[in-house]
Amino acid sequence: MTLDSKIPAGRLEDKWTSYQAKSHLINPANKKKLNILVVGSGLAGAGAAATLAELGYQVQCFCYQDSPRRAHSVAAQGGINAAKNYQHDGDSVWRMFYDTLKGGDFRSREANTYRLAELSAPLIDHFVQQGVPFAREYGGVLANRSFGGVQVQRTFYARGQTGQQLLLAAYSQLSKMIRAKKVAMFARHEVLDIVVIQGKAKGVIARDLATGEIKRFAADAVVLATGGYSRVFRLSTLAIGCNGSAIWKAHKRGAYFAAPSFTQIHPTALPQTSESQSKLTLMSESLRNDGRIWVPKKKDDNRQAKDIPEEERDYYLERRYPSFGNLAPRDIASRAAKERIDAGYGVGQLKNAVYLDFKHAINKLGKDVIQDKYGNLFSMYEKITGINAYEEPMKISPAAHFSMGGLWVDYELMTSIPGLYAIGECNYSDHGANRLGANSLLQTSIDGYFILPNTINNYLEGELKETRPDVNHPEFVKVEDEVKSQIGKILAINGHRTTDDFHRELGKVMWQECAMSRNKKGLEKAILQIKEIKDAFWKEVKVTGHDNEMNPELEKALRLADFIELAILMCTDALERNESCGAHFREEYQTEDGEAMRNDEDYKYVSVWEYDAGDFKLHKEVLEFEYVQPTVRSYK
Amino acid sequence: MSMFFRKSILAATGLFLCIFLLVHLSANALLLLPETTARGLYNGYSTTLRESLVIKIVAYLLYLSLIFHVVYAGIVTYKNRQSKGNPYVMNHKTETSTWASQNMGVLGMLILIFIVVHLVNFWARVKLGIGETVRTDVAGNLDVYEVTYTLFHNIYYVLFYSVLMLPLGFHLHHGLQSAFKTLGFYHKKGLAVLAKISLIYAIIMSVGFAIIPIIVYFK
Amino acid sequence: MKITFKIWRQEGANSEGSFKTYDIDGLTEDMSFLEALDHLNERLVLKGEKVVAFDHDCREGICGQCGVFINGRAHGPHDHMTTCQLHMRSFKDGETIVVEPYRAGAFPVVKDLVVDRTAFDRIIEQGAYITAKTGTAAEANAILIPKEVADNSMDVAACIGCGACVATCKNASAALFTSAKINHLNKLPQGQPEAHRRLVGMTDQMAIENFGSCTFTAACEVECPAEISISSIAEMNARYVKAKLFG
Repeated sequence: MTLDSKIPAGRLEDKWTSYQAKSHLINPANKKKLNILVVGSGLAGAGAAATLAELGYQVQCFCYQDSPRRAHSVAAQGGINAAKNYQHDGDSVWRMFYDTLKGGDFRSREANTYRLAELSAPLIDHFVQQGVPFAREYGGVLANRSFGGVQVQRTFYARGQTGQQLLLAAYSQLSKMIRAKKVAMFARHEVLDIVVIQGKAKGVIARDLATGEIKRFAADAVVLATGGYSRVFRLSTLAIGCNGSAIWKAHKRGAYFAAPSFTQIHPTALPQTSESQSKLTLMSESLRNDGRIWVPKKKDDNRQAKDIPEEERDYYLERRYPSFGNLAPRDIASRAAKERIDAGYGVGQLKNAVYLDFKHAINKLGKDVIQDKYGNLFSMYEKITGINAYEEPMKISPAAHFSMGGLWVDYELMTSIPGLYAIGECNYSDHGANRLGANSLLQTSIDGYFILPNTINNYLEGELKETRPDVNHPEFVKVEDEVKSQIGKILAINGHRTTDDFHRELGKVMWQECAMSRNKKGLEKAILQIKEIKDAFWKEVKVTGHDNEMNPELEKALRLADFIELAILMCTDALERNESCGAHFREEYQTEDGEAMRNDEDYKYVSVWEYDAGDFKLHKEVLEFEYVQPTVRSYK
Repeated sequence: MSMFFRKSILAATGLFLCIFLLVHLSANALLLLPETTARGLYNGYSTTLRESLVIKIVAYLLYLSLIFHVVYAGIVTYKNRQSKGNPYVMNHKTETSTWASQNMGVLGMLILIFIVVHLVNFWARVKLGIGETVRTDVAGNLDVYEVTYTLFHNIYYVLFYSVLMLPLGFHLHHGLQSAFKTLGFYHKKGLAVLAKISLIYAIIMSVGFAIIPIIVYFK
Repeated sequence: MKITFKIWRQEGANSEGSFKTYDIDGLTEDMSFLEALDHLNERLVLKGEKVVAFDHDCREGICGQCGVFINGRAHGPHDHMTTCQLHMRSFKDGETIVVEPYRAGAFPVVKDLVVDRTAFDRIIEQGAYITAKTGTAAEANAILIPKEVADNSMDVAACIGCGACVATCKNASAALFTSAKINHLNKLPQGQPEAHRRLVGMTDQMAIENFGSCTFTAACEVECPAEISISSIAEMNARYVKAKLFG
């Protein structure tokens, strides 16, 4: 199969408009006959499910949580970008497009990225209409703040809970359509496999997490909106239940996986404090607007932060990147922190953190202003650490965060399996090798609200003529049997190690070798280690309880089984890419002063992986830059 | 019938009873005057109350309020019990709310017992003529002062009348502010003031009603 | 540190439940409460026993999925905190911790510490939205909203839907949850066209779901992780009274 990105012809500015003008339409009476499954209820999933239902399709939506309102979009704190230019600071769709493309180190499609910027302004209109209480100025207009990696103020926010407010708006809209009986919601249901019939996605197999019942769902199209897979590192900023199972199963059924190793390590999370830790809490990047990051100039300095005088502090981001300073993009800020920590300048109990200091901001702006902007973040920090950050600096540390990589999709957000779509974080579309802050809520919302509902008709129009296979089709029976047999197998092992134990082991390998900096030797070793973990897992894991009941241990084990396989692909991908770009930093490819060295000559493509019976076959989608010439990404 | 309606009845009747208590206490304060002045004023006041048409209407409203307050308290409590699932084995309610707010029903029952006894002692004798006949004073009014005076020279009644003002105080402290909120008073600073007023009101009512029998006893 | 957990175990919605006691060692003060339960569950697995089922997801206090009754308090001993934000440093070495599921008629137990809070979803379905389709919005700054109004709206919009308000309420009232959502939208100009419909629809559903009525004990505002004040309930009542009296 060849990779057809289906980018419309024409000028960059006109591509989306002309695409819409030419795409097939389906009349309302026919839409009622079409059934779409949406897997996931975050901003992408809920937005898509609600909008598709408004258009007249029959929608069934799934989430593993007890309510769609819990999806992890809820945890995004800082904000959402839009090229509104309300601040009159020279912003425009073009500049936002350029910032995003450059922020992603020129590893995404121009057309996709442009569309992201183009649709950002209407998205803010949409959310305001839906009642999102965005921050306002006294005059009643919307307020903005700046975010890492850009020099304009284009970020809209609702205190430090922007993701929550947007998700609740999407959840509300979804609830409206549930009440209208246009969406059937299946909460506490986890999709465990995709049913592909004659090359087209025609349904899913899901497990009812409350009862353990395995159910079949048939449809005319399947939309995956399952979010990121950074739980592969075990310790991440993600929710404990976030997983890669649905996309991994889709991959094994033929959907290509793009740039799996592109993982964003967020610079401002709370540091790990113990072995048994289950997650790393994120502190919004917006804190970097007013906080200054530093470490002591002296190694192993055991003094309290407040006892270290100014001249003995190393504000290393301001030193290394004078023009962006503390607002350097995430990959750069994370790597710079790692560099200082590895060099022995880390602070905190485990010497694994750096300071984020608000002293100067509080002196300059007053405590009230800081409290108004970040109050909930400061109180969250205090709840978790017991430390008052108005009095002493926060301790922060890099943590696995966002998956830029994901299922390969074309301009229509369709994967390489016809009828299977991937939207939001689980696809690889707009962010390239690094995502800019506040672009995540944007991309996931736009995929769900604006793009998918305008592209899916192009495919479904063709499906009208065909009869939808029902759930008794032999392929449904076969896939269900496979799901059941995997569950049976895991329960039967009855070994002597817990799932979490394996997960910790996997996480350590991945964090060591496939996170902020990577090298050939390490990756090769990691692949072998992960294969050993995989073998051991299938021999030694112990899962108690049964399949026909609520069984959280079984859920974990099933997810981990997929994470282990995904981890191998991530390392394979990182190993193949002999360059440093964005979040992918290969130690062999760096400049003398430690900056990333991109290689456009050989690697100006998206790595697209095909599953091939346990092995992976590489396809390359070469990126054409017609409008912007890739430059060295400098934030100095 | 909506839960709002039920709670509103409870709140509105409660507030009406609060106003009544204010009037009742000011009249009772007459008992604290020297006997010669007190007897005349008190008996005169009590006769006026019995004979005024306006007061008659208000009195009926009062009976109705009391009955509705009790009945709706019963209904609301019953309904709320239905909503509650199995009880917690460990429940530290007082860490999150006042004891009174958690026990309005119990407090209300105690107050109801008080009211019944109180009505038998006074209302039944004076108004309905049940029990020992009430004499008239020099002015020809029923000598309610004498009834009170005699009653409050019985130490058991003094204790009963005074001690049961404690639950009344608790009930009023929570009830007054709760009633305002139920009826939609939500001004943030106003609520803080309301909390203080409720406390002051509850103290004045409970202490005021409680000390009168004691003072009369020692008179 | 060493802790004795006394945990409610219940096989399913229709089974009888009971407390089981677990002595557990090797905990540290830095562990979150849920990590201590993870730790316990790993020990249970190794012993061949079924794990304790409990709800949780984001573990950073925003998704609202976690929530159990710990030592007689919803979300544990601290005010305004979710279960996932509770850390073991809040307990003493050797302490016994009693863990129960949220108890309310409208929140039936699913298993062990997991309860069914879908009643909340059904309240939301009765009007906690703006009926406007995707793609029909006007320019965002065409609606001017004073900062105070947006801030007040945000104060209540912050509700995470954890259900602690119901769990701690002696009447199992959902008034704080419901009022928060009603006030969030009814304060904003966007929410005006269907303000009445929303108010009536959601409050009616609250009764249908068998939540009790609010008697202002204020326990809910103490437990609420989003620090929503009970003045929100009074405000909802004001809207209701106004709607009934003046239409």
